[in-house]
Amino acid sequence: MLSVFKHMISKRNVLIILLSVMVFNTYGKMNSFSDNKKLTWIKAIYPDHYKIQFAGGIGFVSGGLGYDFFKERVDITYFYGYVPEWYSKEDLHSVSLQLSGKPFRIELNNKLEYYPLNIGIFLHHTFGSEYYITLPDHYPEDYYWWSPGRTGGLFLEGQLNYQFKEPDHVFSEIGFYYRIVTRGVYLTSKISNTSIPIEDIFSLGLGIVIYY
Amino acid sequence: MKRYMIAMLFIFGIFISSCDEIFEYSPYVIDFEDDEQNLTQKNISKLLSTKAPDTLVIALTGDSHRFYDEAEKLVNTLNQNFEIDFLIHTGDFADYGIPKQYQWSNSIFSKLHAPYFVVIGNHDLVSNGEDGYNEMFGNPNFSFIYHSIKFIFINTNSREYEFNGRVPDLNWLQNEINPGDEFEKVILVFHAPPFDADFDSDLEGDFMNILHSSDNVLFATHGHLHSFNFSEPYSDGIPFLNTASAEKNEFVLVKIYNNEFTFNVVSF
Repeated sequence: MLSVFKHMISKRNVLIILLSVMVFNTYGKMNSFSDNKKLTWIKAIYPDHYKIQFAGGIGFVSGGLGYDFFKERVDITYFYGYVPEWYSKEDLHSVSLQLSGKPFRIELNNKLEYYPLNIGIFLHHTFGSEYYITLPDHYPEDYYWWSPGRTGGLFLEGQLNYQFKEPDHVFSEIGFYYRIVTRGVYLTSKISNTSIPIEDIFSLGLGIVIYY
Repeated sequence: MKRYMIAMLFIFGIFISSCDEIFEYSPYVIDFEDDEQNLTQKNISKLLSTKAPDTLVIALTGDSHRFYDEAEKLVNTLNQNFEIDFLIHTGDFADYGIPKQYQWSNSIFSKLHAPYFVVIGNHDLVSNGEDGYNEMFGNPNFSFIYHSIKFIFINTNSREYEFNGRVPDLNWLQNEINPGDEFEKVILVFHAPPFDADFDSDLEGDFMNILHSSDNVLFATHGHLHSFNFSEPYSDGIPFLNTASAEKNEFVLVKIYNNEFTFNVVSF
């Protein structure tokens, strides 16, 4: 079962799915075919938003799609991230799943709203046999507790949204966000070691979000 | 509302200016600074630029994993209270082979006044850790001659290579250990000892045969087992010295004079 799942989440498949959903969604909105009752189930599974992010620990550049719940107060986004070879020793492909809450909202004016402090968690998987999730067979059981293919962390985020009031606009809102990210492995290292500089465990991510 | 924005920009600015590397693209990106690269060769050059003393003094440590505070204490103790010629780290320098763990450990050991040499451990090889080691230190198998002694560092973490029969590299070891004119004795450094389950059992006999036939090994030092131990596991005249992990707040101080060695365990 697990191997089927592993096969499904190959780099290429994830890219194809992500791209086709985005094209499909945009096409659907443009043609208003979501009015057709037969296609309401498709409408229901449309992502509510798309994101493109720079850095933030999940890729040099990452593209994501996701859903909003409770009037945009809870956000779930699935990202595909890429680090080109010229930046590291090898190129890196990864996926991450993120959940964030937006407890505070400030209406700046009738078009601008500001979320000063969103709080989120993420899980991150890098593709490649060396980034395994389950310990390979050549190790005894529990040899390493650590799974290089399953990392995660926390982030704090600020977000500024601009609402398009025109009813026929393709996007309903566009937002800019910045986030401060730390990872579980960095945080636990810092907690047990005063010698690690606090700024070493944090990094920054910047992104744009489009709401349909 | 403008005040909010200005305050946010201000905080943002402080954050950006307070961090060396504010953007992380992946925990597995290897992007080391110049002073975090090619360290084995740099430390060999540093060591060989000094004249060998009559009595050689070496500090042995290892298995520092995520015990950064203890490692820092060790380095401070050595800098303040001991005159050593160099330090040997017997591996597990980066707890899970993560670039940041290499950088954190190195930021501590690079403060040591004396040169330091790190043999690769199994933990250093997790994920893309071998690339990290290559980038920071160089080839995992290396050697140098100082004080008429050849120090041979060899990768013995067979399990990380699925016991493929090529780790440890016995041909390389044979070439390195063959008696030569420039050295009288050999000190062998590795992480997992040959009697350990992580060492390829098919290579254990040949590995020991190489040490026996060269008949020049003063002692072997290793890590992996975390506790200090001194024994002759093969009852063949080759002593094995297991370094204490930094977590034990201990290190081993070895003195070599006239091809003979003494040691003591130092608490810090």
